[in-house]
Amino acid sequence: MANYQQTYQDYIQQNEDRDGIRLSWNVWPSSRLEATRMVVPLGCLFTPMKERPDLPPIQYDPVLCGRATCRAVLNPYCQVDFRAKLWACNFCYQRNPFPPQYAAISEQHQPAELIPQFSTIEYTLQRVPAMPLIYLIVLDTCMDDEDLQALKESLQMSLSLLPPNALIGLITFGKMIQVHELGCEGCSKSYVFRGTKDLTAKQIQEMLGIGKLSPQGGQQGRGGPQGPQQPGQPQTSMNRFLQPVHKCDMSLTDLLGELQRDPWPVAQGKRPLRSTGVALSIAVGLLECTYPNTGARIMLFMGGPPTQGPGMVVDNDLKNPIRSHHDLEKDNVKYMKKACKHFEALATRAATNGHVLDIYACALDQTGLHEMKYCCNYTGGHLVMGDSFNTSLFKQTFQRVFSKDRKGEFQMSFGGVIEVKTSRELKVQGALGPCVSMNTKSACVSENEIGRGGTCQWKMCGFDPTSTLAFFFEVVNQHNAPIPQGGRGCVQFITQYQHSSGQKRVRVTTVARNWADAATNIQHIAAGFDQECAAVLMARLAVHRSDTDEGPDVLRWLDRSLIRLCQKFGEYSKDDPNSFRFSENFSLYPQFMFHMRRSQFLQVFNNSPDESAYYRYQLNRQDLTNCLIMIQPLLYAYSFQGPPEPVLLDSSSILPDRILLMDTFFQVLIYHGETITAWKSAGYDTSDDHENFRQLLQAPVTDAEDMLARRFPLPRYIVTESGGSQARFLLTKVNPSQTHNNMYQWGPDGGAPVLTDDVSLQIFMDHLKKLAVSSSS
Amino acid sequence: QNRNICPPEPVEPPKANLRDDLKKVNTSPDLFRCTLTTLPQNQNLLNKCKLPLGILLHPFKDLSHLPVITSSVIVRCRSCRTYINPFVTFIDSRRWKCNLCYRVNDLPEEFMYNPLTKSYGEPHKRPEVQNSTIEFIAPSEYMLRPPQPAVYLFVLDVSHNAVEMGYLHSFCRVLLDELERFPGDARTAIGFLTFDKVLHFYNLAEGLSQPQMLIVSDTEDVFLPSPDNLLVNLQESKELIQDLLHQLPEMFADNTETHSALGPALQVAHKLMTPTGGRVCVFQSCLPSLGPGALKPREDPNQRAGTDVQHLGPATDFYKRMALECAGQQIAVDMFFMPGQYTDIATLSGVAKYSGGATFYFPGFHPVRGPAQVTRFERDLRRYLTRKIGFEAVMRIRCTRGLSIHTFHGNFFVRSTDLLSLPNVNPDAGFAMQVSIEEALVDSSTACFQAALLYTSSKGERRIRVHTMALPVSSNITEIYAGADQQAVVCLLARMAVDRSIMSSIRDAREAVINACIDCLAQYRNSVAGQQLGALMAPWSLRMFPLYILALLKHPAFRLGTSTRLDDRVNTMNQLKALPLASNMMALHPYMYAVHNLNDEGALTIRDQIIPQPPILSLSSERLSRDGAFLLDNGEGMFMFVGRSISVQFCTDVLGVESFAAIPDVMFELPELDNANSERVRSFVGWLREQRPFFPPLQIIREDSRQRMVFLQHLVEDRSESMFSYYEFLQHIQKEACK
Ligand SMILES: [Zn+2]
Ligand SMILES: [Zn+2]
Repeated sequence: MANYQQTYQDYIQQNEDRDGIRLSWNVWPSSRLEATRMVVPLGCLFTPMKERPDLPPIQYDPVLCGRATCRAVLNPYCQVDFRAKLWACNFCYQRNPFPPQYAAISEQHQPAELIPQFSTIEYTLQRVPAMPLIYLIVLDTCMDDEDLQALKESLQMSLSLLPPNALIGLITFGKMIQVHELGCEGCSKSYVFRGTKDLTAKQIQEMLGIGKLSPQGGQQGRGGPQGPQQPGQPQTSMNRFLQPVHKCDMSLTDLLGELQRDPWPVAQGKRPLRSTGVALSIAVGLLECTYPNTGARIMLFMGGPPTQGPGMVVDNDLKNPIRSHHDLEKDNVKYMKKACKHFEALATRAATNGHVLDIYACALDQTGLHEMKYCCNYTGGHLVMGDSFNTSLFKQTFQRVFSKDRKGEFQMSFGGVIEVKTSRELKVQGALGPCVSMNTKSACVSENEIGRGGTCQWKMCGFDPTSTLAFFFEVVNQHNAPIPQGGRGCVQFITQYQHSSGQKRVRVTTVARNWADAATNIQHIAAGFDQECAAVLMARLAVHRSDTDEGPDVLRWLDRSLIRLCQKFGEYSKDDPNSFRFSENFSLYPQFMFHMRRSQFLQVFNNSPDESAYYRYQLNRQDLTNCLIMIQPLLYAYSFQGPPEPVLLDSSSILPDRILLMDTFFQVLIYHGETITAWKSAGYDTSDDHENFRQLLQAPVTDAEDMLARRFPLPRYIVTESGGSQARFLLTKVNPSQTHNNMYQWGPDGGAPVLTDDVSLQIFMDHLKKLAVSSSS
Repeated sequence: QNRNICPPEPVEPPKANLRDDLKKVNTSPDLFRCTLTTLPQNQNLLNKCKLPLGILLHPFKDLSHLPVITSSVIVRCRSCRTYINPFVTFIDSRRWKCNLCYRVNDLPEEFMYNPLTKSYGEPHKRPEVQNSTIEFIAPSEYMLRPPQPAVYLFVLDVSHNAVEMGYLHSFCRVLLDELERFPGDARTAIGFLTFDKVLHFYNLAEGLSQPQMLIVSDTEDVFLPSPDNLLVNLQESKELIQDLLHQLPEMFADNTETHSALGPALQVAHKLMTPTGGRVCVFQSCLPSLGPGALKPREDPNQRAGTDVQHLGPATDFYKRMALECAGQQIAVDMFFMPGQYTDIATLSGVAKYSGGATFYFPGFHPVRGPAQVTRFERDLRRYLTRKIGFEAVMRIRCTRGLSIHTFHGNFFVRSTDLLSLPNVNPDAGFAMQVSIEEALVDSSTACFQAALLYTSSKGERRIRVHTMALPVSSNITEIYAGADQQAVVCLLARMAVDRSIMSSIRDAREAVINACIDCLAQYRNSVAGQQLGALMAPWSLRMFPLYILALLKHPAFRLGTSTRLDDRVNTMNQLKALPLASNMMALHPYMYAVHNLNDEGALTIRDQIIPQPPILSLSSERLSRDGAFLLDNGEGMFMFVGRSISVQFCTDVLGVESFAAIPDVMFELPELDNANSERVRSFVGWLREQRPFFPPLQIIREDSRQRMVFLQHLVEDRSESMFSYYEFLQHIQKEACK
């Protein structure tokens, strides 16, 4: 059995490495009825841009199935008749002749796309000219000088990281919005807009004097760039607001240098008037009419909530605090619905045009991310939340946006369109992740939506090697129908996108899995269960549900699903909880659910709506590994007892002579136990006699630095100790196996008690087993 | 009959027939005039003499000598608030009797001391009692708020039209030159706003490395793009201002935008100036076409020579409303028009009229096609930028009990019956008021008018300039006629005619003017001269009256049947309403001199320069000769008409060409040639120019030039296509008056 499992784990790992995909079920139940009884839906986590430095550069177009309703891409799962130069489509079974340029293929001489190791392959389209990348900075100037200075420096630094041909633009805002003309000499110029009046793209175009050609190259066009002259690209692209970096980096550096805080006075007891809603609207409108369907990032930097005009989240009177979850529950939030509507509409427009919206929000209080989250969720933009722009968290995170891969290329992709093709027995129900539906109907589309459904194409305006979508599938094969021909079902992901080099590329990932009859081969199906993938899929579904459902309902749904999964796949004697056993590839799943239930994704207590929006945003876009860390943080222990080791996320792991390193994805925390702290206060760490202690102290720091170096956005780095105020971050995460309710059992070595009324994992599991085996449920 | 009716010297205003000591101290007729220097004792007598009663004022005229008093106490009548003046009566050394309301007031102790003579007990020797024009530096009770700093906002049309015209080059050059000479102190602030279809503001904050242009395109709903630094301290930001002025012409050199958002520009100018008040100076080249205040062309060029004229009034009240809003915030708007085509000055000038502003008009401004206007523009702009200015001013006219002021002419906003609000007052503005006699003036043999102008100087001082005019009262109609001031009468009639043209029609106004002349002369004939058969008699005081009336009828403001562009006409109407009498008279009845035979007879010598004094000629072509050169000066421009038989000597000496034929079609200014003839003509022209604030450019016109009408149209005594000659006009008057 262990071997068998080992095999499956390897198989899952190999597939993930090759295709960037993890499936909740790796053997598929062959009928609709059986599939619905699997409790955890058939779905996958797909990372379309998973780094594949080994992929060969393919400089030709993919070969498509000739059937107009299919158009699947030739892949290694297709049957090929080398003699007849024919291939059979594995989705529609159409036999297609190879195009003329494939005349020379043979069994010995196969094109890359037929080789099994290239079930994921990437084509670079030659017909489409490369486009420069576009960066539009939208900068809040209502912040203190220190923050603004730090931000200006970060932006100036970023100019040196951009490719010289990239186009850049600058919009600043406070009470008013200024759209800056770049590359002006002698006199800087900017168009000023009121922050209280929303404008259509057409009005913006008119007011900025763009889109109208001045025949004599008059003032309107002076100093204007020759916009990319792409066929079909309207000439409107000529404008002075987006200029190549190499032309304007000096003047932009100066412009940023002279930028001052918003000059409008702010009265005592007031918030500054911040026109974020209109500023963003202008940014979206500007790109909409000048560079539709071209990769572009709108990068919003804000130091506080929108306080006026469309999209305002809170008014400017400090007497009125910004909404809390409590207000949300009471449905007592004056501006929220309108603001959400505003930003959702903007996000939809940006997504339609293929533009990315990034938000960098740095402030001590909330900034309105709850209302603005759509911007990033719909377009795949970055969402970064910090206390100040003058922190390494922001500075390094921002720098990492422009990090490059081994080939020296930006790890950002634009304007992705992911199309899903399925075998006939399968239909796609929907997607969850940083994308929007393109409302494209096809035979592959299920009527039963999960997440964003009703389509076979999704748009992902911005994505990077960790951006991960969840897809859900429905088995539509009827119960009595035989196991489908070939015994395998297939799914193909065709991702067209603009590479950061400007090239248009298509990445094709084709996966195939065996069908099994659940009535006879349920153990095969169970063996193919990927509990990690299942946990993340269920977590995303739960978060998706919490957008519309009440918190307790979501928890109940999660509990019911868990119980049903236990009932279906556990081994037990009826009504004997002690008899309950789960096979290894299910065994961690209840724990994941235990931690998920307690997590900040579903528990809003102690969090602000902004924080909730931020946490959920990350869960919705990160890859499986990161999502798992978010659900169940990792805990490592360092002590003189032995080498560093992973330990249970349990209060029993907190020991006086240990240093703990916890990674919650959002935080990297080092916790010094009581004894360690005492040693430190005794000054052992500075004494020559205690080199070992110094090394012990250093070890988690080195590991933490390693974690910080690899992650985007940069986690919050916390060093705390027993009794320290920040120790609460650790204590809220660990399983409260010892609490003040049962602390009498606590002995000298029994770990630290946790002050909580939450049930411990032990109690949770006991309950779960009882319910699972109960014949009455 | 001597047909040379025009005297060879300028017509002198009559002096009021007062006691010699009063005559000596009476206010100068350059500043204050009355149409009747002997006032009729009652309204019946006034009605009977058929002359209009009114006063004409040039209150802020540049003066070479002006007594200024700093005093903690300004002595005024406790009842009517009249300032103490030379025409009060001292009952004894402690009390004075007001000459306007006759109240007896106590003299304050301080007044007993004379700061000039440092003597005590001679209140009648105080400067206030010795000068009928005087200025007080006001103590704090004359201030509603701290005196405002000098604030100047320039609003510049940069649309395609304006750029084509090239005025920005002139503007920036002159401004750069004169920046140091702007009236003001350390607080002086300045700002720029340019506009075409959109509005461009300039942030000129001290410390910036370069100017920042802020563009507001939402012209339907304008706003200020920044809370500060759009108006900046002139001294602190001088370098940035200069930088901007050097850049401006090039910045818009290729502008193809033809739309003009003047209305929105005025709206934001108002917003920008509201906190301080000050002067807004607008340059406009075309008809505003966008946003609030947008206009449509109204003039039908085919009707320019018609028998009546439409569209003399405003097309919208937007500009008047704008002016009133500005006036409410102590903002005056001055308009510089450089129209390439119809610009609807009738509507646009409203913003200056009701805010105490001024209008300037440069038709045909073009560096190549209209260099005279360019020169005039640059000179006028220099004068405009550096002339004295008074801010947040009010002017009150008081008069002796029984007299009543009822209609005001000029650029201002009437705040209450006798109080004019003048957000700015300038030394070139004239005003007029009509007067009626409500109660018989029987209390005294003299009556007085006092004008008090309270203003903030560019240095931030609150000052009061007071003019007091005393006039004798008479019940004898002969004396009334003898004291009539024909120039004042015609200038007042001209103002009334402008109002009438706008309210009713030019035809009506012309008829009223002719009737005024006929009625007056008929009445004179009936009541004074006796009815000599068929003879037209005029009192000496009114000997030029019919000629002036004819000149008025032929003036571009009121002429009919001669092609006159609507904007030209409206501009002259505006000038008649808002300029001082001297300028009006020059425009109505220009001076003409023969300059081909200047000699030193009777010449003046000023600063070692000999200035010939040729006689003034009647405006009749009979005065012209083929071999002569004639200079005509209407105040705004000078025209030298050169006959075809002019001597070669004159051509070479004065014009620098070998013959008449060699005189270019377009010639402006005289070459500086080193000979006596050239020097005489130039020194004469220079002397004429020196006497007035604005610079009249000179145009030389050959007798056979197509431009000749520019000169000949001023010869009002001649018969024209549509109008009487002076002789015919007199016959008509005679016929009517002797009916
Ligand atoms: Zn197919
Ligand atoms: Zn009095």
